[in-house]
Amino acid sequence: MIMGPLARALDDRLRLSPITRRALAKIFPDHWSFMLGEIALYSFIALILTGVYLTFFFDASSADRVYQGSYAPLDGATTSAAYASTVRLSWDVRAGLLIRQTHHWAALAFVAAIVLHLSRIYFTGAFRKPRELNWLIGVTMLALALANGFTGYSMPDDLLSGLGLRIITSVVESIPLVGTWLAALALGGEFPSDEMIPRIFITHVLLVPAILVALISLHLGILVRQKHSQFPGPGRTEHNVVGSRFWPGYTLRTLALFAWVLAVLFALGGLVQINPVWLYGPFAPAESSSPAQPDWYVAWGDGALRLFPPWEFRIGGYLVPAPFFPGVVLGGLSFVALYLWPFIERWCTRDRRPHQLLDRPRNHPVRVGIGVGALTFYVVLVVAAGDDILARLLRVPVYDLLALFRVLVLVLPIVTGVLAFLIARALCRGEAASLGELTRADLRRGARPAPRRPTGEDEPEVPVRHRPGERIELWPQGEVWRWRYRNEAGQLTLTNNRAVTSEEEAVETARLAYPGVDRVVVPGPPPPPARALRVALRRWGRATAAGSLLVAALLGRRRERRRRRDGEDEPPPPEQADAISGGGDPT
Amino acid sequence: MSGQTPSKSERAASRRIAVAFLVSAAGAVGFAVTYGLNGGTQWEGVCLAVAFAGLAVGLAVWSRRLVPVGGYVEEHEGFVPPPAEQAMTAAVFRAPESPTRRWGLLAALGFALTALGVAALFPLRSLLPWDRQRPTRSLKDTPWGPGIRLVDDQGRPLRPDDVPADTMVAVFPEGSIDVGDAPAFAVRLNPERFIRQPAGGHLGGLVVWSLLCTHAGCPVRLYLKGAGRVLCPCHQSSFDLLAGARPIAGPAARPLPGLPIEVGPDGFLRATGDFTAPPGAGFWSRP
Amino acid sequence: MRRPRAVTLPTPHPRRALAVGSVLVLAAGPVALAPAPTPTPTATTPAADRGTQLYLEQCASCHGPQGQGSQRGPSLIGVGPASVDFQLSTGRMPLSQEVPQATRRAPVFSADDISALVGHVASFGGGGPQIPRVAPGDVVSGRALFAANCAPCHGAGGSGAVLTNGWIAPPLYESTATQVAEAVRVGPGLMPAFPSQVLTDRQVNDLTSYVQRLRSERLDRGGNPIGRLGPLAEGLVGWVVVLALLVGAVRWLGRRAGE
Repeated sequence: MIMGPLARALDDRLRLSPITRRALAKIFPDHWSFMLGEIALYSFIALILTGVYLTFFFDASSADRVYQGSYAPLDGATTSAAYASTVRLSWDVRAGLLIRQTHHWAALAFVAAIVLHLSRIYFTGAFRKPRELNWLIGVTMLALALANGFTGYSMPDDLLSGLGLRIITSVVESIPLVGTWLAALALGGEFPSDEMIPRIFITHVLLVPAILVALISLHLGILVRQKHSQFPGPGRTEHNVVGSRFWPGYTLRTLALFAWVLAVLFALGGLVQINPVWLYGPFAPAESSSPAQPDWYVAWGDGALRLFPPWEFRIGGYLVPAPFFPGVVLGGLSFVALYLWPFIERWCTRDRRPHQLLDRPRNHPVRVGIGVGALTFYVVLVVAAGDDILARLLRVPVYDLLALFRVLVLVLPIVTGVLAFLIARALCRGEAASLGELTRADLRRGARPAPRRPTGEDEPEVPVRHRPGERIELWPQGEVWRWRYRNEAGQLTLTNNRAVTSEEEAVETARLAYPGVDRVVVPGPPPPPARALRVALRRWGRATAAGSLLVAALLGRRRERRRRRDGEDEPPPPEQADAISGGGDPT
Repeated sequence: MSGQTPSKSERAASRRIAVAFLVSAAGAVGFAVTYGLNGGTQWEGVCLAVAFAGLAVGLAVWSRRLVPVGGYVEEHEGFVPPPAEQAMTAAVFRAPESPTRRWGLLAALGFALTALGVAALFPLRSLLPWDRQRPTRSLKDTPWGPGIRLVDDQGRPLRPDDVPADTMVAVFPEGSIDVGDAPAFAVRLNPERFIRQPAGGHLGGLVVWSLLCTHAGCPVRLYLKGAGRVLCPCHQSSFDLLAGARPIAGPAARPLPGLPIEVGPDGFLRATGDFTAPPGAGFWSRP
Repeated sequence: MRRPRAVTLPTPHPRRALAVGSVLVLAAGPVALAPAPTPTPTATTPAADRGTQLYLEQCASCHGPQGQGSQRGPSLIGVGPASVDFQLSTGRMPLSQEVPQATRRAPVFSADDISALVGHVASFGGGGPQIPRVAPGDVVSGRALFAANCAPCHGAGGSGAVLTNGWIAPPLYESTATQVAEAVRVGPGLMPAFPSQVLTDRQVNDLTSYVQRLRSERLDRGGNPIGRLGPLAEGLVGWVVVLALLVGAVRWLGRRAGE
C-alpha cells in the first residue's frame, strides 16, 4: 500500500499498517437489512452536529427573560429564558430554525431506525450467541434514545412540553413508596421547579449523549471483533463472512448513505414544520392545549395511559394510582422483556451453540408470531395516543374510539401474532419463496398442527463428500499469498478478503472459512507470470502443501472434538474427509 | 469488471458521478447565498438537501458502477479460545504473587470500596431542596388556606359577580399564580341541577374546583358549558361538575378536589381552607 | 452576521400590516358594516318586512313564529344579535336537517338579509349581547389571552380539537374578526361565553387580532405545518419518510451484484 509521508511517519511510530490493512479488508455482507443500524448511526451523528450548534443559542434557565425579536405575538412578552431563547433561535437566528427542525427530525428518524434495526436483529435471530452482549447494549441505547428524545422535547419549556413533563412527573410519582421522592430528586422540588430546565439540559446534552457515544463505540467494537453475521447462502458457512470489503466498495456505499441521511433530514428540516413552539406558547401551570401528544416514540406510553381503565386501589391505606400500571409497569416490563429475550429463547430452545448464520424469519414461526404480536401491540398503543385526532378526522365520538382501542389493544396483537405464526409456518413448510407466492395449499399445510421438522435446529453442515465441485485455490501474488473459494455448480467465486504473508497462513484461513472443503489447488489460477522467485515459491509451496494441510486437518479435528464437547446432545458433524487425499490432488 | 481502458459504461458512470458532485457543489453555494441573503428556512433546507443528495448520488453510483460489489470472503475464527490459552490466562491470576490470592486483603478492600460507594450516594441528597418540606408533604399542601383571596391570571382579586354563568374563570391564590398545584377554576352552575353537592360547597351556584386532572395532572380547561362537564386534553378524562366533579369517562379515577370559599368582608372571594384533597395526580401516601 | 438586535420597540411594520389586514378583513366581512348599534326596527321599513318574511320561511318551523322555540329548536328570545349574526354568517343556520353540531358552511343569506333577520329576532325582546365592533388590538396580549382561554379547546395553533360525544371545537382559520368576537361574547353551542366581566372589549380586540394572525401562513415559518396537528402527525411523516426514502435507499444500496 502506497502511503504518503505523513502516513509513513505515523506508521513508523504506531505500526498502524497491519491494523489498517485488516480493518480495510473487513467484510460487510451485501444485504440491505444490515444497513438499518447505519441509518441510526448517521442520524445520531446528525443529531450531534446540529445539537452542538443549538447549544450556542439555547439558554437553559427558567429565569424570566423578555423576548424581543421578529415574532410579533411574543415581542416584549416575559417568558422563561429557555422558551425565549428557543423562539429567538427559531425566528431571529439565521438558519437557526433549519438546524432546530433538522435536529428534531433527526431524533424521530434516529429512534425509528433503531426500532427497524432491532426488529431485523430480532426476526433473524442475530441476538443469539455470541451476540447477546450487543443485544443488551442495543436495548440500552434504545432506552437512552427514548430518554434523550423526551428530555429534548421538554427543554424548550413550551406549553406542550410542559404538559408532557407534568404527565411523566405524575407517572413517576405513582410508583409506590419511592415515587414522590424520585420525582423530587429529579426535579429538585415540586413540579414545576426552577432547577428542572437546567437539569434536563445537562442530561440531554452531556450525560445521555456521553453514555450513548460510549455504548455506540462498544457496540461497533464488538461488531468488528465478532465480525458480521450473514444470511445462509452458497459459499456461506458458520465459519466465514461473505460480502464486500470495507475499502473501497463499502466505504463509498456507507458514505453515500451518510450523505443521503443528511440530505433527507435537511430536506425535512427545511420543508416540514416540526414542533412550532412559538405557536404553543410558554408553559404556564394553568394552561393547556389540545390535541396534546408527545413525540411518537413515547406515544405508546401516552396511548397506554389513555386506554388503561380508571383503576386505583389502596394497599394498607396507601394509594396505587392509575398511571402506575400503564406508565411504570408496562414500560418496565417492555424493557425487561427486551433485555431478557435472548436468554428466554435460549432457555426455551436449549440452543447454546454460537451462530454466525442468521435465521430466515420463517424458520422460527414462534419467534415471528411473538414479534409481530408485540409490534402490533405497540403500534395500537401509538395510534391510541392519537384517538382525539382520529375522532376529529373521522367525526366519531372519542369515547367510542377509546372503547374500540381498549378491545383492539388486546385482540389485535393475538390475531396478527397467530396470523404471522401461520404464514411463517406455511412459508417454512412450503416451497414459496416470498409472501406473494404463497398458495392456498401452503397455507393449509401451515395451519396443520403436526410440525414436519422441529424448529430451532440447524441442519448439520453438509460433509465434503456431498459437496462436489467446491474447491479452494491458492496462489502466490508477488511476496504474498491469496486464496479463493470456487463452487463450480453455483458459478460462485469468492476471493479471500486480504493477502496473507505465507502459504501456511493462506491454507489455515481457507480451512477456517471452509472447514469441509478439502480440494485444495496449489497454486490456483490466475497463472502468475513465471519468474524465478515465483517458480521457487511454487515448488516450495507444493512441497509444503501436504504438510501444512496435515497440520490444518489435525487442528480441525481438535476443534471438532472441542465443539462436540461444548455442543451437548447435538450430533457431531460428520468427521471431515481425509485431508491429505484432497490436498495432494492438484487437478 | 474494470479493465485497462475504461469501458463505455464506466465512462458514462464517471460522467454521472461528476455531474452529481457538481450539483452538490451548486447546492452548497446555494446554501451560502441563501444564508447571506436571509432567504428563509425553506430555501436553506432545500439547498443543503441538494448538496448532500448530490454527494449521496455520486458516491452511490461510484460504489455500484466503478467498484465491484461482493465477491469476497473472510474467515471467522469462532470465539472459544484454545484450552491452552485459557489455562495460561488462568495461570496468570493464580500465580503466587497475584493479588487475587489474598482473600483477606481483598475482603478489606471490598469493604473500603463499598463504604466509598455508599458515601458517594450521600451528595445525591443535595439534589433535593434543603429548605423545603418533604416531597410528599409539599404535594399535599398548596398555597390555598383560610383567608387567601381568589385572583385571576392577572392577579386581580375576584368578586362573586366576576364569575357569570356559562363561563369558566381560572383562579389562583393571591400571590402564588405560578405555583404548580395551585390553579383552580370557578364556574357558576344552577344549584338545582346538582346531582351531588360539590365537595367544597358552593356560594349560590358558584363553585371552585382544582384545575388539575386527578389522572396525570393536566389542566382540565375544556369546559363544555351546557353539559356542565370539563374535559382533560391529555388523556380525555371528563368530569361531571353537576355530580361533584366525578370522573365519568377516561382514565381518571377520582373526583376533582373542591375549594371551600366565602365572600370576605372586603367583598372579594376568599378560600376558607385548602382543597378538599391533594390536587392533581395520585401518589403513594395520598390520603 | 446577525442583524443588530433592536433594543428599542420593535419595528412597527408587522403591527401596521396586521392593522391594515384587520381593517381589510373587517371591511370585507359580510356583516361588519351592517348592524346598527341600536337595532330598534320599526315595523314599516322594508328591511323589517324582509326579516319577518325570511324568518317565517326559514326559521319559524323550528324556533317558533315568535322565537319561543319548539322541540326541534331552542328559543331565540334573549339570544342577542351577536348570536344570530354568528349563526347566520357562519352558515351554521339555517339547518337543512337536524344534526348534533352545526358546522361552518357558506352563508345561506346575503349580508343584508342577515341584518334583516338579526333585526327581526331582536324584536322578540330579551336583550342579549350586541354584535361587537372589533378594532385592531395588541397581538402580544391577544396571544396570552388566547393561550389562557381558547387554546384548551381550539388548540394553540387554532386547528381545533375534539370534545366528547362527537362534538368538536372547530378550527378558527375561516372565522372573520367579527365572528370570533361574537363567539367569544355568545359562547355558541358548548363553548363557554366570555361576557364583559371576564374579557373587556379591548381584550376581545386583542384576541381577535391574534386569531386573525393565526390564520396567516407566515406563522408557519418552518414549512408545511401538517395541519398543525402536533407530534403524532410529525411522527407519521417521519416514519413515512424513513421507510420510503431511507430504507428505500438502503435497499438499493445494499443489493448484491447482479440483483
